[in-house]
Amino acid sequence: MRMQEDLASLAIDHAKKLGAEYTDARLETHYNELITVANGKVQRAMINQKRGIGVRALVKGAWGFQSTTNLSRAGVKNAVSVAYKIAKASSRHVPKPVKLASIREYRDSYAVAVKKALEDVAFEEKIKMMLKWEKSLHTSKSVVRGLVDYTGIKIDKLFVNSEGANIKFANTVTWAGLKADAKKGDLTQSYEQTVGHVGGYEIFQKQDIEKIAQETGKKADSLLKAQPAKEEKRVPVILNPNYVALLCHEIVGHPSEADRVLGREAAWAGTTWWAGKLGEKIGSEYFTVYDDPTVPRTLGFYRYDDEGVKAERKVLAEKGVLKMHMHSRETAAVFGIEPNAGMRAITYEYIPLIRMSNTFFADGDWDHEEMVEETRHGILVADMKHPSIDDKRYNWTISAQEGYEIKDGELTTHLRDVQLASTAPEFFKSLDAASKKGEIAPLPGCGKGDPMQALYVGNGGPYLRGVANVIGAK
Amino acid sequence: MVKTKALDLKGVGRQILKFGEQLGADETEAYVVSNRVLTVRLVNNAVFEAKGVHDIGAGLRVLGRGGIGSSSTADFSSNSLKKAVQAAVDASKARKLRFKYSFPSPAKTPKVSGVYDTRLAKLPGDKAVELAYDMIEESTAHSRKVVDNAGVLNLVEFHTIVMNSHGLIAKDDGTFFEASLTATAKEGAKSSEGSESTAGRSLRELKPKAIGKKAAEMAVDGLKARPLKEGTYEVILDSEPAVNIDGYVSWLVSPMIAKLYYPLFVDKLGKQVGSKQLNVLDNPLMPGGVGSAPVDEEGAPSKKVTIMEKGVLKNFVYDSFYGAMEKKRTTSSGVRASMGVGVSVFPGKNYNCEPIPLPRNPHIAPGDWKRDEIIEDTKEGLLTQRFHYTRLTNPTRGDFTTVLRMGLYKIEKGEVTRALQKSRIIDNLLNILKNVNAVSDKLVIAGSWGGYAHTPVIRTKAHVTPV
Repeated sequence: MRMQEDLASLAIDHAKKLGAEYTDARLETHYNELITVANGKVQRAMINQKRGIGVRALVKGAWGFQSTTNLSRAGVKNAVSVAYKIAKASSRHVPKPVKLASIREYRDSYAVAVKKALEDVAFEEKIKMMLKWEKSLHTSKSVVRGLVDYTGIKIDKLFVNSEGANIKFANTVTWAGLKADAKKGDLTQSYEQTVGHVGGYEIFQKQDIEKIAQETGKKADSLLKAQPAKEEKRVPVILNPNYVALLCHEIVGHPSEADRVLGREAAWAGTTWWAGKLGEKIGSEYFTVYDDPTVPRTLGFYRYDDEGVKAERKVLAEKGVLKMHMHSRETAAVFGIEPNAGMRAITYEYIPLIRMSNTFFADGDWDHEEMVEETRHGILVADMKHPSIDDKRYNWTISAQEGYEIKDGELTTHLRDVQLASTAPEFFKSLDAASKKGEIAPLPGCGKGDPMQALYVGNGGPYLRGVANVIGAK
Repeated sequence: MVKTKALDLKGVGRQILKFGEQLGADETEAYVVSNRVLTVRLVNNAVFEAKGVHDIGAGLRVLGRGGIGSSSTADFSSNSLKKAVQAAVDASKARKLRFKYSFPSPAKTPKVSGVYDTRLAKLPGDKAVELAYDMIEESTAHSRKVVDNAGVLNLVEFHTIVMNSHGLIAKDDGTFFEASLTATAKEGAKSSEGSESTAGRSLRELKPKAIGKKAAEMAVDGLKARPLKEGTYEVILDSEPAVNIDGYVSWLVSPMIAKLYYPLFVDKLGKQVGSKQLNVLDNPLMPGGVGSAPVDEEGAPSKKVTIMEKGVLKNFVYDSFYGAMEKKRTTSSGVRASMGVGVSVFPGKNYNCEPIPLPRNPHIAPGDWKRDEIIEDTKEGLLTQRFHYTRLTNPTRGDFTTVLRMGLYKIEKGEVTRALQKSRIIDNLLNILKNVNAVSDKLVIAGSWGGYAHTPVIRTKAHVTPV
């Protein structure tokens, strides 16, 4: 660790010597293991290790960044020089120099609690477990494909900056996806679930994964008997917490990123329909959403972001009013507010971006059974599948794994191929009930940036009731 | 890009093979890379950031006692390489194979031209910044209505070597760029976007001013856009939308992806999955092809594969491992990639992924129509130039949706008559493939967000709704 601190300090000192106004460095070691099992066969099993440093320098108001795996003193100095040079070259085309909102510089060290470290369970043992879980997916002959995808990640990170911050973070993240495909004649239906947290392998010992796998297999099988959802406009829909997780991710989380709001993601990802609407009422009283990195055990957990800003709960929307965006130090300065710890990078190789941590709808005051009972006609939509959202995060289409028709307050016909569509403002305004107890689901693959950085986050909320259009199977 | 001391990739490979032998592996394979990426991001009419990654790493696989194990490391010290080999040997004990498998044997490697450009590899950072900024300058010069530009220039240089215990030594040295710009035009309360993006293997293919001009033209056109009426239309997919379709076909013909994630083509080999006008190839031997290389990422010599012929699914693609599993020969389609965390779209970067079967330079084969003829032949239809957030919302059925974010035009009586407002296709991929009724005669490079391919323009039918 001493050597690491020396290298990180060398990066900061060298940048200062060259004339950088601000520099930060992330020195990281990564260990990850990936296992994929399908139909009784190990499809992929890999152990990866990498370590390196990423240096970000602000020169004449322009950003330069360089990462390297060459951790010799010469290698680190070279990386700093490159970051400095390309920042200086960029400064010719930066009409408004970058300003950073000031923060307190923290010196801290923290680690997520791990009861069973990844290395304490033999790789062989893990493969055996995955094979067992995969077998459990095959609850009937109709389950023609089973899939278990396991990922374990361990990261040791040291963050330093030229303002004196020094933060060490030891993180461990584990998750597993379970998926079953069931087939009858020409009809194939699938069902999947993800179990994950920050922490060690203990999650798979604490939770009965075989039972979850069996449930997954049975669900896929049951969908073969379900009826296809019919196209219908403006239907009352009750969304379960897992579906809400993806909805919240796509139409509240991403548009809340201040870089999107400022048009900085316009090239690919897009912008945000609610740019300039802070303080406006854009939803019903049930539209309250937080982004909170401090929720223990969730995939989006951290205490400091990759700019050394202390994490806190952000109130993105409250009772329908748009309150706040997720910020970097730079965007906070543009908006004239305190930074709120939104910057993260997946590894030292990449420059940090504004990212979600755990973004979720606030709990309401209904029992979810009561929400069903008070719905005369509608659909209970359960569990996320695939999204397609427009560039302003205005128009959305999100498919679900299953649904149930609601008739006179009761769940009736089991539905498959459920897909909802609406616009964000129409949907937010239509929300008229939220249940008492929300959940935060693991979402391991949130994509953003160029080059793309796929990051693990948490999303969720309670059961929500609103109005959307149902798109039938095509 | 900044030059650093050349690394002895072959020496690293030799060490890995030696450790494999010492630690009891029957066979060892080393995939050793050095990869540099320089990215210039453009935001709000300015250079937002310039960033570089210099990545070195080795992905390795071992076979032993009937099992296979994989690992990777970014640390080329002897100690770390040995630890990585040990991790792979340990993993091989847990992952027994139920079929006979051996790493590829040495074979004559074809030559593929136009995949490495010294000028691109040696381009200094400040020149890259200027080239990127040229896109903005041209776009804003095109019209006063253009008020904002955002885009990116990515320059990549990579060197890879695959070595295995059979004596195979296969090198792939390449360069690659992608450049794109999204322009925003405003007039009164109206706002509209336009975009252009391209990729290539050499600097002479990079025309930043042309990119800026096209993006600006599309943005300004869009200011006159009117709402679309929901319906099923003849839809011309210009190059970028056509690449999206080609991209999905590529995923679907990987036996691994088909089995695990997207089973739409499972059980469809030999069956009609597209119209008779549709031929799809994977040709990594194409000179200067965006995915061309002399070898795949297991060192197998590149070859051309017919994926779809007259709409009939002819072949899935195979790497050596999936080939052995399904008793097929490799189609030299071993690509180190996955759907997991930390995967890059840039060539030579995914040493931390095991090879999986994937087409490497897939494209729809050119047809016999001129692009203009396709437009002239369309009585009432749409011309689409940019897909956004394309998804198979139901991968088992093929339910397909995409946002027509910009560059959407109405065609009436064979003429492009006006721009249309943002809309969405909601249809099924199999319907879209089966309804292809015209394919243009020229291939161009198009794509977005790192996924680029050669493509003709195609015409199909699809249900389109306003958003």
